[in-house]
Amino acid sequence: MKNSLLALSAVFALFMTSCSNDDDATSEEALTGSGEISLTYDNGFNGNDLVLGTANAANANGETITINRFNYIISNIRLVNKDGEEFVYAKDDSYFIINQENEEDQVALADVPAGEYTTLKFGVGVDQEKYLQGAEGQGNFLTLAEENNMMWAWQAGYKFLNFEGTFTSATITEATEFKIHMGSHGSSLDNYKEVTLELPENVVVGDGIDSNIHLKIDASKILAGATTNIELTEKSVIMVDAEKSPQIAVNTSEMFVVDHVHNGNGH
Amino acid sequence: MLKATLYTALLSLVFWSCNSSDDTYETINEPLEFSVPSNFPDAVYNLEANPPTTIGFELGKKLFYDGRLSSNGFISCGFCHEQRTAFTHHGHQFSHGIDDLEGVRNTPAIQNAAFMKEFAWDGATNHLDLFPIIPITNEVEMGETVSGVLAKIKSDEEYQNLFASAFEDGEVNNENFLKALAQFMVMMVSADSKYDKYVRQEEGGTFTDEEKEGFTVFTNKCASCHTSDLFSDDAFRNNGLAPNPSLNDIGREEVSGDATDRYKFKVPSLRNVELTAPYMHDGRFGTLEAVLDFYSNSVTDSPTLDPILNQDGELGIALTDNEKTTLLAFLGTLTDETYINDERFAEY
Repeated sequence: MKNSLLALSAVFALFMTSCSNDDDATSEEALTGSGEISLTYDNGFNGNDLVLGTANAANANGETITINRFNYIISNIRLVNKDGEEFVYAKDDSYFIINQENEEDQVALADVPAGEYTTLKFGVGVDQEKYLQGAEGQGNFLTLAEENNMMWAWQAGYKFLNFEGTFTSATITEATEFKIHMGSHGSSLDNYKEVTLELPENVVVGDGIDSNIHLKIDASKILAGATTNIELTEKSVIMVDAEKSPQIAVNTSEMFVVDHVHNGNGH
Repeated sequence: MLKATLYTALLSLVFWSCNSSDDTYETINEPLEFSVPSNFPDAVYNLEANPPTTIGFELGKKLFYDGRLSSNGFISCGFCHEQRTAFTHHGHQFSHGIDDLEGVRNTPAIQNAAFMKEFAWDGATNHLDLFPIIPITNEVEMGETVSGVLAKIKSDEEYQNLFASAFEDGEVNNENFLKALAQFMVMMVSADSKYDKYVRQEEGGTFTDEEKEGFTVFTNKCASCHTSDLFSDDAFRNNGLAPNPSLNDIGREEVSGDATDRYKFKVPSLRNVELTAPYMHDGRFGTLEAVLDFYSNSVTDSPTLDPILNQDGELGIALTDNEKTTLLAFLGTLTDETYINDERFAEY
């Protein structure tokens, strides 16, 4: 009896050790080197997929919107790890254009130092520091912006958001064009905004461990924002509006959430 | 003996054929000294980010005078910015760009850009590097795209060599393209007029009594906007010009979107002013006399009129005929013959 109990305990012990949770191959001690983190900017409208050229259900302002263009600039990406240390992605490489027309929705960040990160930070648009650098460090960003309809010509600079389409409302029954181009106004008005998003789960990266952060963007928030509503019926072409452009900048910065994280095996 | 000759002949053949044709010359690029005149403030332009170099400057000049920056291959920067009139467009109120299209603003001078904080009449950019984008993409000026211009430049072997020699990464990209143009413009310093020689007490700087009087009038009545030896404070001001309804140019408001900026335009430098007629952002005055008469007689009020021009309900600047005469004499001392004849900036 003693023997079988011993045997049973042994077998039991064996079970315990063999069943120990081993999918924690991402334990702290194992994280070395660096890996790639990709950010997916998954554009949507009010909970649904954003489909160009298709009318969406009326928004909170009672306006029915069909989007034909939805582009924005993402920049200055940073990640904060669980020790509160911030990793800043190389500034000159940290300007990206998300363009719904060519379905460019991925930002790939190479050589992110190994670690577990809790927070994602980025900017929408181009910051004043970058503007004051002039051409330095640009590479071909300006031509990239030009090709993606994000360059303002008559005012040398960038559109941070290019949001165009048509709309109807209770009072405007014929489909009418809307164009929202939001950027900084020379040296007068800085419309660059920063976004800080806590990740629903830590993103892990290291040698051989590439991960993905999947964001969801609700474009309807540009017009029906948390603090301000922009009614196209009132003004449908907004490019350099001292009052509305800053409001749109704020609304745009609030259209991002992190939906989920994929750790390991890239996306 | 025959073997040696043959061997030598073969060897020299090898050497001769290995002598690369010089289409990939590697010229050494050297720094260009940028000196701040002693009567000038510090440069605003970040020279460390884009230090002027011999080849960068030559490349910038070549681009400046290259019509390929426009869609018809003809309108270069130099087309409107002519050196002999301090890089303004002689005799033109408005310049005609591609397809003979006309703009609504008078071509401003290019001088001392390294010391400026804002560019264009409405401050459409506050960095010199980015300025060329504006005329290049303006539909009535050069009517091109930056990508389009780069494509043309890239296919030119001479440009390929210049970019390769002028920049560390040797790339023909938009960064280097803009930097080259900026290097050229940064070197364009005008600081050798009679006025400069006068204030620096150099030879050739003797003012006549009339010019001295004019300087005093200027200091008292004009220098609050046309400040320092740069002759501008780079601020946007409404100087009381009645808006031209056919142009409807709202000036700085175009850039800021702010109604309080309506009809404000950047204070231009007065250097070389004798050469840069016609005057004002829309070139409405043909002579400096007309400008002074405007300031004394015709300043119009408006919500955004600069407070300097409205002293207790008195609009404009009171000027006697004698003061105007002396002022004109003084303004003549701002002409810099060295600058307009400087071969470094010349097209040919």
